[in-house]
Amino acid sequence: MSSNIMILMLSVSTFLGALGLVALLWGLKTGQFDDQSKFIDGARYDNEEELRDAVMMEKKKKAQKEKREKEKNYRPAD
Amino acid sequence: MAKVKCTHCNLIFDESAMIIEKINNETCHFCCHGCQGVYHLLRSEGLDTFYDKLGGTTLTPPTNTIQDDLEKFDLDGFRNKYVKILPDGTNEINLIIEGIHCSACVWLNEKVLHKTDGIIEATINYTNNKAKVIWDNEVIDLSQIIQTIRSIGYDAFPYDPALQEERAVKTRRDYYARILVAVFGMMNIMWIAIAQYAGYFSGIEQKFKDILNVAEFVLATPVLFYSGWVFYRGAYFGYRNRIVNMDTLVAAGATLAYIYSIYAMVSRHGEVYFDSVVMIITFVLVGKYLEVLSKKHAVDTLDLLTSTIPTEVMVVRDGVKSLIAVENIAIDDIIEVKAGEKIVIDGIITDGAGSFDQSSLTGESIPVHKQTGDAILSGSICLDSVVQYKATKDASNSLLHSIVNLLEESMTKKPKIEQLANSISGYFSVAILTIAIATFAGWYLYDGNFEKALIISISVIVIACPCALGLATPMSTLVGISVAAKRGILFKEATFLETMAKSTMVAIDKTGTITEGKPSVVNAAIHKEFDHQLLYSLVASSNHPISQGVKRYLEDHNDNLQELKLKEMQTLQAKGVIARYNTQLLAGGNSALMEELGIKTTFSSKHSLFFFAIDGILVASFELSDKLRAGAKEAIEKLKSMNLKISMLTGDHALSANAIAKEAGIDNVYDNLLPQDKAALIDKFHDKKEIVIMVGDGINDSIALAKADIAIAMGSGADIAISVSDVVLLDEKPQKITEAYRISKRTYQAIKENLGFSIVYNIIAVPLAVMGFVYPLVAALSMSLSSLVVVGNSIRIKSIKLDKGDKNE
Repeated sequence: MSSNIMILMLSVSTFLGALGLVALLWGLKTGQFDDQSKFIDGARYDNEEELRDAVMMEKKKKAQKEKREKEKNYRPAD
Repeated sequence: MAKVKCTHCNLIFDESAMIIEKINNETCHFCCHGCQGVYHLLRSEGLDTFYDKLGGTTLTPPTNTIQDDLEKFDLDGFRNKYVKILPDGTNEINLIIEGIHCSACVWLNEKVLHKTDGIIEATINYTNNKAKVIWDNEVIDLSQIIQTIRSIGYDAFPYDPALQEERAVKTRRDYYARILVAVFGMMNIMWIAIAQYAGYFSGIEQKFKDILNVAEFVLATPVLFYSGWVFYRGAYFGYRNRIVNMDTLVAAGATLAYIYSIYAMVSRHGEVYFDSVVMIITFVLVGKYLEVLSKKHAVDTLDLLTSTIPTEVMVVRDGVKSLIAVENIAIDDIIEVKAGEKIVIDGIITDGAGSFDQSSLTGESIPVHKQTGDAILSGSICLDSVVQYKATKDASNSLLHSIVNLLEESMTKKPKIEQLANSISGYFSVAILTIAIATFAGWYLYDGNFEKALIISISVIVIACPCALGLATPMSTLVGISVAAKRGILFKEATFLETMAKSTMVAIDKTGTITEGKPSVVNAAIHKEFDHQLLYSLVASSNHPISQGVKRYLEDHNDNLQELKLKEMQTLQAKGVIARYNTQLLAGGNSALMEELGIKTTFSSKHSLFFFAIDGILVASFELSDKLRAGAKEAIEKLKSMNLKISMLTGDHALSANAIAKEAGIDNVYDNLLPQDKAALIDKFHDKKEIVIMVGDGINDSIALAKADIAIAMGSGADIAISVSDVVLLDEKPQKITEAYRISKRTYQAIKENLGFSIVYNIIAVPLAVMGFVYPLVAALSMSLSSLVVVGNSIRIKSIKLDKGDKNE
């Protein structure tokens, strides 16, 4: 076994593992693990309707942002 | 009559008493108009899949009472206190939602809020029922949001998360992220280390060893500096305060091993210790995280307590009634309370009379009747009638607020013995560090070989560092905790076993702890035969503890009791209930009620009395009293035989307190105590150098529980009592107190044995290491061997002999 193969194996596997770790840390930072029971129930309530709901909330947030942008533009420049 | 489930709330009622409605060829039953209304609302909104998600869970029927406090949510004072304006102009509030029973409720609330225009974000935490809502104030008012939540049968209270919760959540997340990194690093280093160990024994080419070393170095570095950051911070704070603590030892040990490993890696000489660096950091970090978790839980329950405190009260000034914020109430203001309202300010009744539920203060569930001139305390709830009273204290000095403040205080500073343990390990750390430095200096001067001197001094730290001494306590307490948990005794933290074993005194609450906390019939007399179902139906209609006691008695002595349909039901507070069945007039209550109906009663008793009369003729009388829990007397005898002093602390009056104390065999009785009196007594015991175990169950015990060295709560007690206590007894048997004490004694003994062994081990091993006889492999072997001895000794705790028969295994 050449040492290059070993370096490759070690670095690839560690990198893949690190990707998983980063994903976990991202989930933690965005509050996805804050509520254990809801986290588990998420699977039970996962259907088309929920997806539509989530899209609706996204739209609402976007609309709010746009509204704010508009308000900003209305302001006279000083 | 058939019993059917309410279509909305799933509670079971008699069919005849329900509202029946045909919807799309389906017959629906509703227990009240509230449930019916919510059901129709959900259907029209297309949310009826809620019922599929709900399954068999029962809900609380929505209350029909009209709440006219909605406008207060839009007041400026309220907005300033609870609403946060976000940088993008939206508003944010934190609410506690009341009435959530299951995940379907969370789903429904979120769904309804999402559908409401103007709400931009709504998330509800199922575990603690806390919600965060972000909305656009130009589209919707807060009062409309609250109204929306109420319309589907739930209620919402605002709370202020800024103080403790945000901080607690942040530290929890922070620790969790650090642990994730540490565990990731540890798992990966372990499998690389296996190759290293194999290579050590069967030979390995230096170039492969180098690769493995570098891989371990890459993995260990983030663990040491990111996950281990807490220890560096702790060591730094320790240094600033001139204290050497466990953090210093962990940080110093890990850093030295890390630096040495880098040296070994670069010089291609000797073994690397990256795996031990990572292990030390990970294990100690997980231990710290568990502590953070339990603190977070306590904060949650405290928020729930404060959220139910009203923020505004009705004040009468010059004949004009107005809602005024609690903070602005001055002494001598006249305040009006209505039925069902909680008192927030202490005062004296000036007009009216009524019954007050003081259970959160005294633990007694029986309401107290108060009239003009009587003092009322904040925290009690007005049960009937409208009462006006004069404030004698302002909000911040009132009882309720001082209880909350005291609890907050005691929660942030608790451990006593723990600090002692830390300081001892501090001395140990200093000693080991000094020895290591001296060894290095000695060998360097004697031998002149820098590398050899460094290796030897590192081996001193490695051999002494965590293992035997570090494991001595946690291993025993772990076994002790699991033995206790199997028997329904939950220790919240390991150190509590140690503290409990050292305690010298037990203070016990009366109601709900050594007594059952609910009155039961001790004596019944039937003066004239009658249909027991009449009485059963009458008492079943009342929630008064006396009625419930009579109801339980009837259920125990009769089969097939059916509830009859009574008419003209009337509850006379502090007296009893009257109702009509066909032509018969039924009356059940105390002697005051009988007197009012013109019935003569000649009985008198030290217990509570309940009379039952049909058409003005007395047919039965019952004597009720709070009974001692089964086994309470034996448990107290046993505690006494183990040289513990026992006292009883109660909010009840002297007469009944002494009677119960005599029955249970307790000599020291302190009666008529308010919550802070109990806490003051605990302080007084502390002054006498006693280590106190407090056993209690109610909100009224919570300050005393928080002050005591060890707090034991009954499993069915108030949430706040359970969260401030250290030990929870799940099956509420008094003999469990004895068992908990015995388990902790046995565990403490094992800890002492373990410590003794590891001290002997260190006395032998450290000098050998100093003299340079210990090679890395030998150090590793003796370390694991010493750990095995400690583990084995700890497992012996399992053989403790406890009473047979009630074993839960």
